Amino acid sequence: MTSEFVFATAQYESGDWDSAPLLPANVIDTIARYTEIAVAPTGVVVALNDDRMLRYPLLYLTGHLPVRFSDAERRNVKRFVERGGMLFVDDHNHDIDGTFHKTATEEIARTVAPLAELPNDHALYSAFFKFDGPPTTSHELNGWGDNLVHKHLLAVRRAGKIAVLFSNKDYSSEWNYHPESKRFLTVDNTKFAVNLVVYALTA
Amino acid sequence: MSILTHVRTVRTVLAAGVALRAVAWGALASLTLIIGAVLVDLVTPIGLVARSGVLMVAIAAGVATAAALAWRDRHVLSLERVALWIEERFPSLDFTLATAVETGDDSFVARAAVDRWRTIAVRRAAHAVRAPLASIAVAGSIVFALPVGAVARVRAPHRGDSLDRPSRGSVGGASRLTPLVARIVPPAYSGRQPTTIDEPSDVRALVGSTITLRGRGSAGGVVARRGVDSIVATSEGDRWSISLRVDARPVALRLVDRGFQRIIAIEPVTDAAPAVTLVTPAHDSVLRAPTGRIALSADMHDDFGIASAAFEYIVSSGEGESFTFRSGTLGATRPNGRRASIGASLPLESLGLRPGDVVHLRAVAHDANDVSGPGVGTSETRALRIARRDEYDSVAVEAAAPSDEEKSVISERMLIMLAEALEKVRPTLGHDSLVTESRSIATDQKRLRRTVGEIVFTRLGGESSGEEHTDEESPARAKTMQDMLARADSATNRSTDPIDFSGGESPVVAVNKPLLEAYNAMWDASTELEIAEPGRALPHMRRALAAIQRARAAERLYLRGRPPQVVVDVGKARLQGKDKGVSSVRQATNASDSPGRRRIERFANVVDLAARDAPAAIDSLLVLRIDALTDAPAFAAALSDAVNAMRGGKSAAATEALARARRSLAGAPITRDSLARWGIVP
Repeated sequence: MTSEFVFATAQYESGDWDSAPLLPANVIDTIARYTEIAVAPTGVVVALNDDRMLRYPLLYLTGHLPVRFSDAERRNVKRFVERGGMLFVDDHNHDIDGTFHKTATEEIARTVAPLAELPNDHALYSAFFKFDGPPTTSHELNGWGDNLVHKHLLAVRRAGKIAVLFSNKDYSSEWNYHPESKRFLTVDNTKFAVNLVVYALTA
Repeated sequence: MSILTHVRTVRTVLAAGVALRAVAWGALASLTLIIGAVLVDLVTPIGLVARSGVLMVAIAAGVATAAALAWRDRHVLSLERVALWIEERFPSLDFTLATAVETGDDSFVARAAVDRWRTIAVRRAAHAVRAPLASIAVAGSIVFALPVGAVARVRAPHRGDSLDRPSRGSVGGASRLTPLVARIVPPAYSGRQPTTIDEPSDVRALVGSTITLRGRGSAGGVVARRGVDSIVATSEGDRWSISLRVDARPVALRLVDRGFQRIIAIEPVTDAAPAVTLVTPAHDSVLRAPTGRIALSADMHDDFGIASAAFEYIVSSGEGESFTFRSGTLGATRPNGRRASIGASLPLESLGLRPGDVVHLRAVAHDANDVSGPGVGTSETRALRIARRDEYDSVAVEAAAPSDEEKSVISERMLIMLAEALEKVRPTLGHDSLVTESRSIATDQKRLRRTVGEIVFTRLGGESSGEEHTDEESPARAKTMQDMLARADSATNRSTDPIDFSGGESPVVAVNKPLLEAYNAMWDASTELEIAEPGRALPHMRRALAAIQRARAAERLYLRGRPPQVVVDVGKARLQGKDKGVSSVRQATNASDSPGRRRIERFANVVDLAARDAPAAIDSLLVLRIDALTDAPAFAAALSDAVNAMRGGKSAAATEALARARRSLAGAPITRDSLARWGIVP
């Protein structure tokens, strides 16, 4: 059993789960830059229907297409959140009227519980860096998706802790670049990922 | 009028007296029980069930008393007994009347005293009913003297009549929070009837219901506190009332009357969303062409009623980052029932589908909840995909040409058969013939070897052929497997050791390794065949065949779409040099189960309080229960049982419920199917 934090990308049978292949490396780089968390240098891809998904405290799930869990995936996701894991779901379409949003939120409601707005003063936004709410991405108003700046994230909370975090901010596009390119940015736009990881590991 | 007619008249009078007396004693028995129950209820409130039972017992006792008395005096109906009763009072008859009744001949009886018989009978009957009627009069006056509400509670018991019970003490100084009645009116869409609860402590009501709390006395100073909100009571005659609406969150409502307090837990019951099952199509499918109609059917049910239902479809088109979506509904209905089945037909032509498009189908139902809803239930989604044209290759009717590997398998197997046949007839052949036949097989073996070499070198990205075509002794010819591997290595430029496949071999070399082995075995086989030794060539040929078959079965690599493997240099990202420095001191965060731990502490405090102040502990348990309703339902249920048991004075049941609550807080026992890491059984 390793004590390192391993960033895990959830693979599910329906949809394009691998639509943001560079995001894990970028998040890992950010964790390494700002924290002393022992972090594995590469992420892993773990199938939701595989019991090994229960080994990871944080699972990242994204895609554009409709999400429909198989029975095994649904069973494992339920076990995952019951054991205290945190599932971070990001809508790559950043479209609240889009298919991913509709199907993923329904699937989460069916599997775990209905999503509700997460207050912008939630502990997630001060778990490491201070945020006044979910940081805005450059993709939200890019002409695709719903062209809205989403003021809240959605979440399912269990015993006071976020079990499922759902984002329409399209962090999958915002953070999907090679970590070496981060040096060209004036402001690092991946800092919120630190809050996600720190919250998932400590809450 | 005959003598016998007079006797019958006397019998009627006496029977009427007997019946009236029986009824009167029966009524008195019932009244006595009711009065007793009313008096007891005035002293100590009797529950609704007990009061209903008292009424039934009173009625039964009255009937039984009347029946017993009537049975005891049933002989009044006998004419002979009536005749003897008259003879007893008129001895001068000297049994002539009894004889007349028995014989039916009234000539035996003198008519002198006949008129007095009836008078005596009436007097006797009146005497018999005098005592019970007087008793009834007394009981009736007692009933009238009792408070009307008190009698009504026993005479016609119903929920909510605790307010009708007269209070013994002074209203001015007593708490106006007892007695208390709650009337719950569910929202209209639910179709449920209003209910009433006496002395409520834990109220479960549908979200959107209206709860009206009523008590005795004026409304002044009576307040209900819900969090930071306060609701002031209003007056209705000599009673106060407070109305509130049930929200989605559980509430501990605190009623306050001067120094008196009372907590009522209001637990909202949420209207569940409809449960929907898509019956057809039963599973996902791939369609060759977007034509025809798809039959749709779905079943659904809801706890209160389904207002509307329909099928929804989403058509997704495109690939990569460019996707477009279209959606629509069909088969919309308004079932207006708790269960429904809907059906529809989806014409695929109308959707304008193209190859590669995916149609996602599901059924959706809305319930009639106009308070916190409507609740939306959805079925599983079925996906119907339209096949792309390039997918047809796998189902093409025309036979495709075998792959190079398969052709090589066939040829090598044929060469083995030829070599085996030659080896078999070898003793019967002359040397020249053997050499000719063997070299003929060797020529085919060399041609096949060149084909394999073409495949390998083409894959490795080198020249079209790594082998000479004419000159067998050319220096460029690869004679051994090591030579071939060296060529493969030069083509991929991967490692310094051409036969070191364990470490950094490329996927291309790994896949072609069996073919390289086949190539080498064929070389050895052709060498043996050249010198007319087919028997010694056969093991090499079989090795070549096995290697080719392994190449056929080798796993294909699909490099396209493989995500880039980025390995983050963690040390570099942390700008780590030789001097690591000292990290700042970080403050530990709270444990993840801190809310649960706080709840355990609160629960322990309440249990301690129960020994000293049970009413306060009950209130604390109710507040704790409200907090736990959302995320710890089992704990909340155990607390409810504990509160009920404590209220009923059942200490054993309360202890059991509290123990159950504590176990629920601590969680289920941890079981492991193996030994712990250090071999200690946990």
